[in-house]
Amino acid sequence: MNKEKKLAPVSFKQGTGQFISTVITIIIIYLIVKMGIPFVTRKITGMGFPFPVPGALMIIFMVLTTIVMFIYITSSEVRLQEFLAPILKLLKGEYGNKTRLITLTIIPLIFGFNIYSSTAPKVSTPTALRIQHPSSNFPKANETLKNPLRNPADADVDKFIEEVKSSHVEFIPQVKEDVERWKGKNPDSHILGFIPTEPVQTLLKELKTGNISRERGRAALIEKYLFEGRALFAMNCRPCHGDSTAGDGPMADGFKLRPINFTDTGTIDTIVEGYTFWRVTEGGRGLPVEATPWDSAMPVWKTDLPEEYRWRIILAEYDLAQKGPREPEKHEEKKY
Amino acid sequence: MKRVFLSCVLLLTVYCSLLTVAYAGDTPTKPKLPKTPEAIEKGKLTFFKRCSFCHGLLGDGNGPAAQFLSPRPRDFTPGTFKFRTTQSGELPIDENLFRTISRGLKGTAMQAFDNEVIKNGLTEEERWQVIYYIQTFAQEFSNPELDPYKKIVTPSMQKIPYSEESVAKGKEIFERAKCWECHGKGGKGDGQKTLDKKDDWGFPIRIRNVTQPWKIKAGSEPEDIFMRFSTGINGTPMPSFIDTLKEEERWHLANFIKSLQKNPREEQVLKAVPVKGDLPEDVNSPEWQKASYIDIRLGGSVIAAPRWQNHSVDMATVRALYNENEIAFLIEWDDPFKDVLHKKEMEADVTPLLGTASYNSYVNPVKMVPGKLETFRDSIALQFPVELQEGTEKPHFFRGDSSNPVNLWIWKADLQEEGKPAVEDTNAVGPDEPLEIQALQDVKGKGVYSGGVWKVIMKRPLLTKDEGDIQFKKGKFIPFSLNVWDGSNGEHGKLMSLSSWHYVIMETPVPSKVYLYTFLGIIGLGFGEVLLVRKINGTKV
Repeated sequence: MNKEKKLAPVSFKQGTGQFISTVITIIIIYLIVKMGIPFVTRKITGMGFPFPVPGALMIIFMVLTTIVMFIYITSSEVRLQEFLAPILKLLKGEYGNKTRLITLTIIPLIFGFNIYSSTAPKVSTPTALRIQHPSSNFPKANETLKNPLRNPADADVDKFIEEVKSSHVEFIPQVKEDVERWKGKNPDSHILGFIPTEPVQTLLKELKTGNISRERGRAALIEKYLFEGRALFAMNCRPCHGDSTAGDGPMADGFKLRPINFTDTGTIDTIVEGYTFWRVTEGGRGLPVEATPWDSAMPVWKTDLPEEYRWRIILAEYDLAQKGPREPEKHEEKKY
Repeated sequence: MKRVFLSCVLLLTVYCSLLTVAYAGDTPTKPKLPKTPEAIEKGKLTFFKRCSFCHGLLGDGNGPAAQFLSPRPRDFTPGTFKFRTTQSGELPIDENLFRTISRGLKGTAMQAFDNEVIKNGLTEEERWQVIYYIQTFAQEFSNPELDPYKKIVTPSMQKIPYSEESVAKGKEIFERAKCWECHGKGGKGDGQKTLDKKDDWGFPIRIRNVTQPWKIKAGSEPEDIFMRFSTGINGTPMPSFIDTLKEEERWHLANFIKSLQKNPREEQVLKAVPVKGDLPEDVNSPEWQKASYIDIRLGGSVIAAPRWQNHSVDMATVRALYNENEIAFLIEWDDPFKDVLHKKEMEADVTPLLGTASYNSYVNPVKMVPGKLETFRDSIALQFPVELQEGTEKPHFFRGDSSNPVNLWIWKADLQEEGKPAVEDTNAVGPDEPLEIQALQDVKGKGVYSGGVWKVIMKRPLLTKDEGDIQFKKGKFIPFSLNVWDGSNGEHGKLMSLSSWHYVIMETPVPSKVYLYTFLGIIGLGFGEVLLVRKINGTKV
C-alpha cells in the first residue's frame, strides 16, 4: 500500500490519477496473491508444486485491500473528488456515448457470468478427508511393542558369537546365495568379511585375539539383521517405497494414494515401532474407515512375511530413512 | 522516488537469491573428489548399504532383489554402460556415472540418489566415492588405453531450438534412417515383429516406446535424446548415428522425438458426455472427439501375492459417452504387440509364491512367464463397485471384498478373435476369490488394434435388472478403475496393471433456475445503472 502512495501523484493525467492508481493497486495485490505466493513458495521449498492459496484467503486479501483503498480515498476530500471524477465523467458521457454504453453493458455481463459460474453445477473430485495415523482400531498391546531385533537377547548374541567363531553364520535364505558367491570369490576372508561397517570389522579384529565381548557381538548381530532387512525391503517394499525409502519406487506413480516417503518428518519418526509393525502387518485393508482403506495399495504382509522378517524390514527401514521410532510414553502407575 | 528504487533493488535481490535455491542439477557443483584408496574404501561402505541388495555384493547385478526386476540391475563387471557421452562401445566418463546415480533411471528400480532430491540421499562426495568403488569391479577402468576421456562426444554446434520446421525435418530423418523398423511408425515401440531381442547380458529387451517420456531412462529432453543418437546404447541394438547422421540431423530428429511425447491429463473425474441418437460403435468415430478424456496411471499388481512389478501398460486414456438408454466407454492404451491367443496351459504356477514360508511373493519375469508371442491374450477390464455407498466409501480398488463386491467388465482379445462375445460381465469379492461370470451378460465390446495402440469400446444399458451390476444414474459420481493385461509381456491372471479409483459422472444439463438467476442479475444491475446515469445527468437522458 505504501508504494502506491508514492506512485499515485507521479505521472498520470490530471484528474484521473487517483482512479487509475487505485485500479492498479488492486490488480497488483491480486497478482501477488494469485501468482506471487505460489511462485515464491515453490522457490523456497524447491518442490514441484506451490503452496495452495485457498479461495477464502484470496477473498480476505481482496476485501482488505478494498477497505484500505476506500479508507485511504475517503480520508481526504480532494482524493475522493479525484477518484470519483473519471467515473462521473463516464456516466455523464464525457468520454463519448459509445464508451459509456460499452462500459455499462460489460459490467452487468461480468456480474451475470459470475452468478452463472457460481450457481451452475460443477464437476469436481469428491473430497475425502483422510486420517494419516488412525488409532480407532490400533491394538493397545502394540503401543509398547519393541522391535526384538533392535536389542537382541543375550542368548541370541552368544549363539551368534559362537557362529562367528566357527565361521558358520546363518543367514536368511534370500541373501544366502549372494553371500556364498562373495565367499567363493574371497575364500580367505571370514564369512562376515563382506560387511564393511565398523561394528563387524571391529568384531573380526577381536576374533583374531580370541575374546569377543558380548557388546561387540550384539552390535555386529544388529548389522547382520540390518543387512538382511535391507535385502527384504528391496525385494518386497522397494517397488513402491523406493530403494532409499523416499516413496519414489517405480510403482509410485501408478497409485493415487502415493506410497509414503519415510524420509519425510511426520511419517515413521512420529509413530512408535509397534504402530509401524501394525501397519506393515495389516496393510491398507486393515485400516479403519477414516483412513480410506479402499484407496490404499499397502499389502497385508502378515499373509506373506513371517513376523521376524517384518521386524527385520522395519529395522532396516528406519536405518535407511535415517530416522528413529518414537518412544512409547511412560505411564506412571498411580499409587494410592 | 529514491525509496521506490531502493525497494525495487531489494525485491530483485531477494528474487535472485530465491532462484539459486532452485532444483539441483545432475552435474557436480563442487570440484570432483580425487580418486584415492581412501575414497574407494568409503565408496565400498556406501555401496554395501545402498546398492548391494540389487547390484550384488560382487557388483555383478545379482543381488537378492535382482531376479524379480526387469530391466535388471546393471552388472558392473563387463564395464558396459548404456548411458554415456562417449563414443559407442566405450567406457563412460565419471561424470556420466555421476549423472545416473544423481537422477536415477526413470521407469526402472534405480531411483535418484542426489541428496538434494531425497533427504537421505548421497552427498556429492559420497557419490564420487561410490563411483570409484563401482569402477573397481571392471578391469577396463584401470586400463589407460581405454581412457574414456579421450573418447568424449562433444557437439560442435549449438542445439537447434525446437520448432515446427525442425520437427518436420526430424520426421523425414526418422523415415530415412529407418528408426521405425524397431520403434514403429508412431514411435510406440511396435516396429519389431518378434520378441527375440536380447541385450549383451542375455536378458530380453523391449523396444522403447518413445512417446512415454516418463519411461525414458536417461532423460526425455532433446539434449538427452541427441546424446543417445550420438553415443548409441551399449549392450543393446540401439546404434550410434554419429557416422550416419550429421549433427544437425540428429538435433532435428531429437526435436521430432520430443514432439511425439505424450503430455498426460491426469484427472480424477471423467465427464461422460450426452449424445443424441445411437452411441458410436466405431472406435475412430468423430463423436468420440466430443467427449473429454482423462489419462489414468496404472501400477503393477503388487498388492497381494502373486505380485507383479514388471507391468507393461502404465497409462490408459478413457472417454465416455451416453444417451438415454446406454453408456459407452472408449479406452486406449499403447501395446507393442497384438496378442489374440490364450494358452491356458502356459499360465504360471504361482503356488510357490504364496504363504509366509515362501522365499518371495513376486513373479520372476524371466523364469516364470514364457516371454513369447502367441501365448497370452491382451485384455482390459473396467471395474465398478456394485453398490454406490454414502460419502466416499467404496470397495477396495483391488477387487473389493466379501461385503463390498465389485463389477468387472472384462474385454478379451482372444474371445473377439474367435468371434465370441468379447466382454465378460463378472463380479469379484476380493483379490483371492475367483471371478464369477454373471448369468445375464449385458456388456458389449469391440477392440481395434492399429499402430501399437489398442482402442476398445465397452457399452451397456444405463440400468439393468441384474443385482451384481452397477447402475448408472445422472449426476452421481461413480467410481471406476482399470485392470490391463499385456499378453506378450507374460501377463495373465493377477499378473497385470491396475489403477486406483477414479470417477465417471454423467453430465447433466444446467438447471433452468441458474439461467433465471443470471438473467435477473444482469437486468437488475443494468436497471440500476440506468437509474444512476439518469440521476447524474438530471433528466437529460
